[in-house]
Amino acid sequence: MTGYILSRVLRAALTMLVTVTLVFLFIRLSGDPAAALVPPDAPQEVIDQYARAMGLDQPLWQQYLGYVGGLLQGNFGFSIHTGIAVEETFLGRLPFTLHLGITALALAIFIGIPIGALAAIRRGTALDRFVMGFSVFAFAMPNFLFGLVMILVAALAFSAFLGGENANVIWPALTLGLAAMGSFARFTRSSVLETINAPYMRAAEARGVPFGMRLLRHAAPNAAIPLVTLIGLSLGALVAGSVVTEQVFAWPGVGQLLVRSVATRDLAQVQFLVLVVAFTMVMANLIVDMLYLVIDPRIRAK
Amino acid sequence: MTFRSLMAVTLLAGALAMPVAAQDRPDMVIAVDNLWPTMDPVIGISTTGARVHTNIFDTLVRRNRWEDPDGTELVPWLAESWQQLSPNVWEFTLREGVPFHDGHIMDAADVAFSLSAERLWGDEPLAPRGTRYTRGFVRVEATGPLTVEIETSFPDPNLPFRMVTPIGFVLPQHYYEEVGTEAFGQMPMGTGPYRMTAFDPSVAVDAVAFDDYWAGEPPAATLRFEIVPEFSTRFAGLVAGEYDVVVSVPADQVDALEGTEGVTVMEKGIENYPMFAFNMLETEALPDNPLTDVNLRRAIVAGVDREAIAAAIWGEATFVPTPFNFPEYGDYYDPDRERAVPFDPEQAAEYLAASDYDGEELIWHITRGFYPNYEIAAEFMVEQWAEIGINVRIELKDNFSLAYERPFHFLNMSMSSEFSGDPYRPLWMDWGPESSRFGASHRTWDMTEDFVRLGEVFEQAQEFEDRYQAYLDLVAEWERVTPGMYMWRNVVSYAINENLQWDPGNSAVTIFDHLYMTGYDE
Repeated sequence: MTGYILSRVLRAALTMLVTVTLVFLFIRLSGDPAAALVPPDAPQEVIDQYARAMGLDQPLWQQYLGYVGGLLQGNFGFSIHTGIAVEETFLGRLPFTLHLGITALALAIFIGIPIGALAAIRRGTALDRFVMGFSVFAFAMPNFLFGLVMILVAALAFSAFLGGENANVIWPALTLGLAAMGSFARFTRSSVLETINAPYMRAAEARGVPFGMRLLRHAAPNAAIPLVTLIGLSLGALVAGSVVTEQVFAWPGVGQLLVRSVATRDLAQVQFLVLVVAFTMVMANLIVDMLYLVIDPRIRAK
Repeated sequence: MTFRSLMAVTLLAGALAMPVAAQDRPDMVIAVDNLWPTMDPVIGISTTGARVHTNIFDTLVRRNRWEDPDGTELVPWLAESWQQLSPNVWEFTLREGVPFHDGHIMDAADVAFSLSAERLWGDEPLAPRGTRYTRGFVRVEATGPLTVEIETSFPDPNLPFRMVTPIGFVLPQHYYEEVGTEAFGQMPMGTGPYRMTAFDPSVAVDAVAFDDYWAGEPPAATLRFEIVPEFSTRFAGLVAGEYDVVVSVPADQVDALEGTEGVTVMEKGIENYPMFAFNMLETEALPDNPLTDVNLRRAIVAGVDREAIAAAIWGEATFVPTPFNFPEYGDYYDPDRERAVPFDPEQAAEYLAASDYDGEELIWHITRGFYPNYEIAAEFMVEQWAEIGINVRIELKDNFSLAYERPFHFLNMSMSSEFSGDPYRPLWMDWGPESSRFGASHRTWDMTEDFVRLGEVFEQAQEFEDRYQAYLDLVAEWERVTPGMYMWRNVVSYAINENLQWDPGNSAVTIFDHLYMTGYDE
């Protein structure tokens, strides 16, 4: 088991290092950050002055070593535009994104999983077909389109505005969580179907275990394994989706900050944000790996 | 009397003392697509910054767009008057008793600092982007409490026009030096109608009316410039009454919006002209460049019907300019002057026959989404050229530094016409010896000897008649060489609440002082 944990932690660390390197290289290959600070017709001397101020006149390897060295000491750098430490700006936005992300995930879990389970139990009925129809719609609907339609309909039909930082979080969260809701419903349904027809369920029924108890004690833990994986994976989609959703709803979270920072080539800010996203993903995967240990005795035994 | 009741009485008395108008003023929200990351008016030179700057700062001299949309008339603003003491020296006399937002009174030292070598034009200046407006500056000096002298290395009859540009904004020296350049850009202070209270470059700017504003009471109680990246969301916010002004209406949505109840749409031609430059150079990346041949360049220009394309895309909102003949130049503008190389397919065929062009592919670098409608127009043009045997391929680039990478035959750009009150900027600054067309790594042409000679005559001419003739000669030389092609006058569009009486003139700058915003019916 120690080997299992160690290998997963090592893999996480390696992923982070590769991410750091790729982010560093790609940002510098996708256009001169100093040129992004000036208008297209700015004289070269002005661009050069900015490049010197940003340390971009040094050789790439020196910039890289300086950057990684800084990271190891917890120095993430400063925004080239505002001069504010990048983590400070990030922390200012984090509550918005957490609020949005957690609400979206909660909506996806507390609506998606129950309706999926219900569809499995009522297999073949109209309810089942409705839930499956909904889940296909939810999964297939691009979130920017759903969000825009919602915003425009609310404005034109009800003179209500669902965007901006004062709006109710439920609307962007619904937009963001919709796809995850659909896939949770589908997976729950197939997972529950698989387990309720398993031999141990029939055995439990033969032993006289009541239906509710069979579902909770026997079916649920087994059906949970693929779902835990899925929830871990969907965190990634939520993070990526929040970039789009925040843009559409003008929600002042990390996603909007990331888009802005890329557009203005704010090197340190982009690097930090991508690292945070990568870190979130790596940690989510690590936690999922650890959760397997808890819910699946077979992995523990190995 | 207890402390609490004392407070209550004080607050009540304060409320009663407030002028009635102040209570009626609206809280305005302007939904913008973006904000520049710093609000220093020179470091932040940009459309997204300029929308905010003039609400916070004042310039020494101002253009009157509230009466004339093209703003050809100069209006004394923080400078009450100016005079040319000698050919190379101008003196500006400042308005007395103008307060900054902290109550500090503006004086000549603030102006001298705002225009100083340290800030704008010395070695490694604090705000290096000002250099393009400070050409020839050799001395800026406060010569009295309210007088400032500016000396240039060459006579400049139009120097006061420079004071309407971003370098003309007056900054408080004491505050700037106290907080430093970066912090100033995050929480700037000026003498303008609104005082900034909060700024987050990726969320919003918040400002409140500065009731001690010297020029008149600001018509809004608060201003908020809020970033709403998606146009449909901006539109929804306007319809729902959340936003009062929405910028950057996409050209293809203007018609749809005009039919929306409660919304007024405005399209304004601004002082910026999208175009492309011909790469006329033979470089390592492009050893056999067919565009070194003037006949091919002229065939390209004569082979495309710009009027029809502009009308199809923009309707009545804009026009195709004769090179450097722009309405914002007052006496220099001649509505009857025609282009040297107009649309003429037969003439284009003749030019083409006279060239050595054998149908090889010409690459057009275009920065994706930067200029409204540019890509659509480019596609029309490519088809028109194909009809006469010219083979152009569009390559979309994600940003300018990628667009500047060679090889390319055409390079997209736009030229601003603002700055000097005459065609000096677009003609000589943008194509002359100090221009990026000639000097940058992405340079596209070598000036002809005649262009340099005529340009120097133009630059040195002091009297209008001499300067006007020199201007015509220089334009004729430019058109003879044909180093590029102007497409149309750029257009910005606004959608506003129909109850708001506000008109920005032909400008992308949004000002909400009492001159531009004259009322808001609830």
